[in-house]
Amino acid sequence: MARLNAVNRLTAHPVGILGGGGAVLFVLFIGLPVVALLVRAAQQSDFLGAVTGDVALTALRLSLLTSIVSMAVVILLGTPFAYLLARSDSPWARVVDSLVELPLVLPPVVAGVAMLMAFGRKGLLGPGLENLGITISFTTAAVVLAQIFVASPFFIRAAKLGFQSVAKDYEDVAQTLGVSPWRTFFRITLPLAGPAMFTGLGLAWARALSEFGATMMFAGNLTGETQTMPLAIMTAMDTSLDNALAMSVMLLAGSVLVLAVLGLLTRRRWQGR
Amino acid sequence: MAGQNGGAAAKGWVQCEVGRFRLETDWEIAPGQVSVLFGPSGAGKSTTLRAIAGLLRPVQGHVEVGGQVVYDSDDEVWIPTHNRRVGYLTQQYGLFPHLKVTGNIGFGLKDRNSAASRDRISELSSLFQVDDLMDRYPWELSGGQQQRVALARALAPNPAMLLLDEPFASLDAELRRVLRRELRAMLAQTPVPVMLVTHDREEALSLGDSVQVINEGRILVTGDPLEVLGQPGRGRVARLVGVENLFDLTVQERNPRDGIMICTGQGLRLEVPLDSHIGGGAVPEGVRDRITVGIRASDIILAKNALSGSSARNQFQGQVVSVESRPPGYAVTLDCGQPLRCHVTGAALDEMGIQAGQRLWAVFKASSCFLVDDGNPPDR
Repeated sequence: MARLNAVNRLTAHPVGILGGGGAVLFVLFIGLPVVALLVRAAQQSDFLGAVTGDVALTALRLSLLTSIVSMAVVILLGTPFAYLLARSDSPWARVVDSLVELPLVLPPVVAGVAMLMAFGRKGLLGPGLENLGITISFTTAAVVLAQIFVASPFFIRAAKLGFQSVAKDYEDVAQTLGVSPWRTFFRITLPLAGPAMFTGLGLAWARALSEFGATMMFAGNLTGETQTMPLAIMTAMDTSLDNALAMSVMLLAGSVLVLAVLGLLTRRRWQGR
Repeated sequence: MAGQNGGAAAKGWVQCEVGRFRLETDWEIAPGQVSVLFGPSGAGKSTTLRAIAGLLRPVQGHVEVGGQVVYDSDDEVWIPTHNRRVGYLTQQYGLFPHLKVTGNIGFGLKDRNSAASRDRISELSSLFQVDDLMDRYPWELSGGQQQRVALARALAPNPAMLLLDEPFASLDAELRRVLRRELRAMLAQTPVPVMLVTHDREEALSLGDSVQVINEGRILVTGDPLEVLGQPGRGRVARLVGVENLFDLTVQERNPRDGIMICTGQGLRLEVPLDSHIGGGAVPEGVRDRITVGIRASDIILAKNALSGSSARNQFQGQVVSVESRPPGYAVTLDCGQPLRCHVTGAALDEMGIQAGQRLWAVFKASSCFLVDDGNPPDR
């Protein structure tokens, strides 16, 4: 009842009325294509066949494998890094901070070209890596690197904000209770920053799964090796719309799943409000 | 278990630099004794506690907790916070929001699921009367309950020293009194040295066995709370501890036989104790005729008529300028040529019907006036 009143009061306000109109438009604008995709996919004769087809499954397997590896790297390296950024007040931290966020605004295609120039066969590190017998560009490793490049800022940013929200007082008090700084991090800091980190992880994962431009440039489009779901969808558009639709629905389902899991993981049971 | 700790005094000295702020302080606290660090905000109180806890590295110094040297700049001893055995209570409680009361109290116990740990948790939770709340999260507790849990948590690992940083500042007056009593009772059971930071006079008086007044990173005076906070001898200290009435006067006449002298100035004529024991025993350099006299607002009696045949030596008539609530009573300002602040209880206020504009008498004994040794004229 109280909530209803609040809504009534809000929609009586001129900005509220505009906002209501905007809400309707946005729901239609985002909802309609989703519905269209589902309807169109449902109309096709052999949806299940397309979903379980070789092309789709191979791409799906690769997408899952690469995104899991890249997320593992992002968590392992990004967590301590984000903590450092959150607790440091040196001016250098701010410089590094803005550098970390560069991939958020950089067009992925440019990121792909840049990575090629750095790690490609003719890139800056290319000859050195070649001497060591390592080739990165146009391999599965390149897919992972491209995903890390574009997706890590989502996690690091969120984790940094999460750590910043954990008052230093908590860590201080924990140590006076005889708990070492290392254990304090796992018993206090990490659980308190957890919800924020899961939000960041979800966004990063979604971004990694949808990665297209940088992968295309740096890793190519080789079936079973570098052809992830988005690349497979684009390729399928030329030959079989049915396949493209089937894989699109799969990615859509994946995105919804990520949202749902996020909603569960970020709920703080220890906070009433 | 509870009896093992607190055997040794906590003592030391530190010099700290935090940005441009410099702090120099020293202390020695016997087990079971509460030493109050009293001063305005920014004086260096919390910095002192953090230095003792090892949360801040001093420039130089020597710190002993529980008979163990935990910091010494000359011998390059530095024991990290988690091995110092200090209990630390901050203003904002710092209860861990993701842990229930049980988890909070038991946080510092090794092997939390052992029978010994469970016993310790239930022992402390009943001591602080939070045994009904064990399954609640901190946000489900009132301010007083949170602070009880925080105290229990700090005591659980048997600290060798307690550092309390304005622990009751955000509670209401009544609850503050209750918790002070509980803290006293707890200290009787577990005698550890306690350093308590506060800027609340009542708290300092009721909890402190000794008090140090600190300002701008320097200890101004160390001593008995009643002496230091009741009739502070030095001008700066008097202002810091909030003496309500301070007057700059000139000595007109000394009367050694009665031990008093007559002073005038600022439109007043006061009989005050003779200045032979200025500053609580320190002999003044030469006799000065310009003196500063302090009178506590609670030492002044308000009367509707002049008291004839009373022993009080000082009586002034004046008009009530303002009446302000000052829990637990009221502060009445009387204009006797100079504003005179007096504290009265609510009952007295009602009974006398005190209100602004009324003419009243202010009465106080000569011995309620104390000399404030203003070596350097204060910057007003």
